[in-house]
Amino acid sequence: MTSKVFGKFGYRFFVLKGSLKNIACFVFFAVCTFFASTVSANKLNDTTRFSSREEAIAFLEKQAGLAQSDYWPNINPVLFLQNIRKNIEQPLSIYEGRSTNFCAYAALSYLPLHQNPLDYTRFLITLYKDGKAMYGREYFEPTRAVRLAAGTLSFKGELDIRPADQLWFMSLADHFKGYLNLFDHHYNPGDENKTWAAVNFAKFNRMIRRLFNYHVDAAGSDLIRPGFRDAFDYLSEKIKTGTVALFVNNLDLYKKNHTRLRLNIPTHFVILLGIDEADDDRIAITYWDYGGITRQYLPESFLRKIIFGVSHITAKKNND
Amino acid sequence: MTKGGSHIILFILLAGMYACTSRKIFTSNYFTENEKALTEIETLYKKLSEQKPFAIGFTDRSFEYVSIEIITDSIKYINEFSITDQKMVDTLRKYALPEEGILELVLKMRAIHCIWVNTLDYYTNNQKRSLVFLSVKPVSVRLPFSAEKYLVLTFYQQPQYYDSDGNLLASRRLRKLRKINDETFRRLNDKVAYTVSEHFR
Repeated sequence: MTSKVFGKFGYRFFVLKGSLKNIACFVFFAVCTFFASTVSANKLNDTTRFSSREEAIAFLEKQAGLAQSDYWPNINPVLFLQNIRKNIEQPLSIYEGRSTNFCAYAALSYLPLHQNPLDYTRFLITLYKDGKAMYGREYFEPTRAVRLAAGTLSFKGELDIRPADQLWFMSLADHFKGYLNLFDHHYNPGDENKTWAAVNFAKFNRMIRRLFNYHVDAAGSDLIRPGFRDAFDYLSEKIKTGTVALFVNNLDLYKKNHTRLRLNIPTHFVILLGIDEADDDRIAITYWDYGGITRQYLPESFLRKIIFGVSHITAKKNND
Repeated sequence: MTKGGSHIILFILLAGMYACTSRKIFTSNYFTENEKALTEIETLYKKLSEQKPFAIGFTDRSFEYVSIEIITDSIKYINEFSITDQKMVDTLRKYALPEEGILELVLKMRAIHCIWVNTLDYYTNNQKRSLVFLSVKPVSVRLPFSAEKYLVLTFYQQPQYYDSDGNLLASRRLRKLRKINDETFRRLNDKVAYTVSEHFR
């Protein structure tokens, strides 16, 4: 029929058209297969990375003789490596410094230092050498002001002599921004104690997801407490299945009833390490902050009052 | 102007004068009047904490409750007690703290409204040093809705350097003001500096 209507050319045109159709189908199929396999591969790769302390130390030992970085002129390479080594060997010793706003950055460091110190070490070494580096899904290129200030912070207690921690905290504060940093985006000397370094609850959870690729189930907010009835039951359940970070009212945690007027807002992040009932109806919470473990005894109602946010952090696995 | 209006203006003027002048007068007067008691607290605390590190402070306005931080190598325990509670003595005993000495310290602190004492580490030329940090909640007239102020004293082990205005310096060579908890301090004597702060620890 076709040849009758369109003649020889028409026939060839339709044969060609048919072939093009086949090619198009093939290309379409190939593209679909490629995307399907990519998505599937990505899903398979979407797992939280783990490494051991030994791997991190082995990598660090290869960095002996690290040259002074042009990007971080105030950070001595020997002290820098010593600080990283101490963090790997004693992960609870990382210290946010006195009167800084680095507590959230120190709290989230608990995860890589315990579960993937190799990536943490690689990132810091690359950042030191090249002035830029990738961590998880984030590309870091700290500003000149931050690069010049890291290593010079003083009067912060032990943070004064921990240059790698200064670099790490300041790079995180420089890179991640939340609404609290809206009016203080650029670092100026002294900003480590101010809103430049402040972290709201959503920003804290976002940092963990994007840097370390964990699942974070968050309950609570910057102003309204989570709606659990029994803090003890809730936290006991959560701590069994993952790492738990608490966003708490610091003034109340270190109980001070001297003043009549107090702002009831959360200001501090801690890692909950344990929770149990004490003999006298109180709750004993064990938590990490300020470079050490604290065990504190509190009434349950008081515990409920001070907690504004609970981040339940679990590793992603292949089948998630 | 009405009589009420002039009273308001007078009140604002007096409040302004109070805010400008009270800090220095109250600090030096307070220290002079209580120097003996403050030094005794510092000496006793230093002696007791050398046996076993701890920090202690009152947690309420009526000075009935204390919070004790017992510092061990691996963990810090924080517990709060009524000062008349037997549990406090039991706990001190449990952690082998000098109970009599600590009870004496608590009473001395209460007598002059000293609300907090602990040891703080600081660094000079990368060398770790420590000081005794003590804060007092003086009984003073306070403007309504103004923040609570504490007199904070720092006791050093060695004489410190001050500039010509009496401000505490970081070191002899470094002519930079030393900050403790983000506050600058002023001279009371060679080894004791003070500030007035909204934070007691």
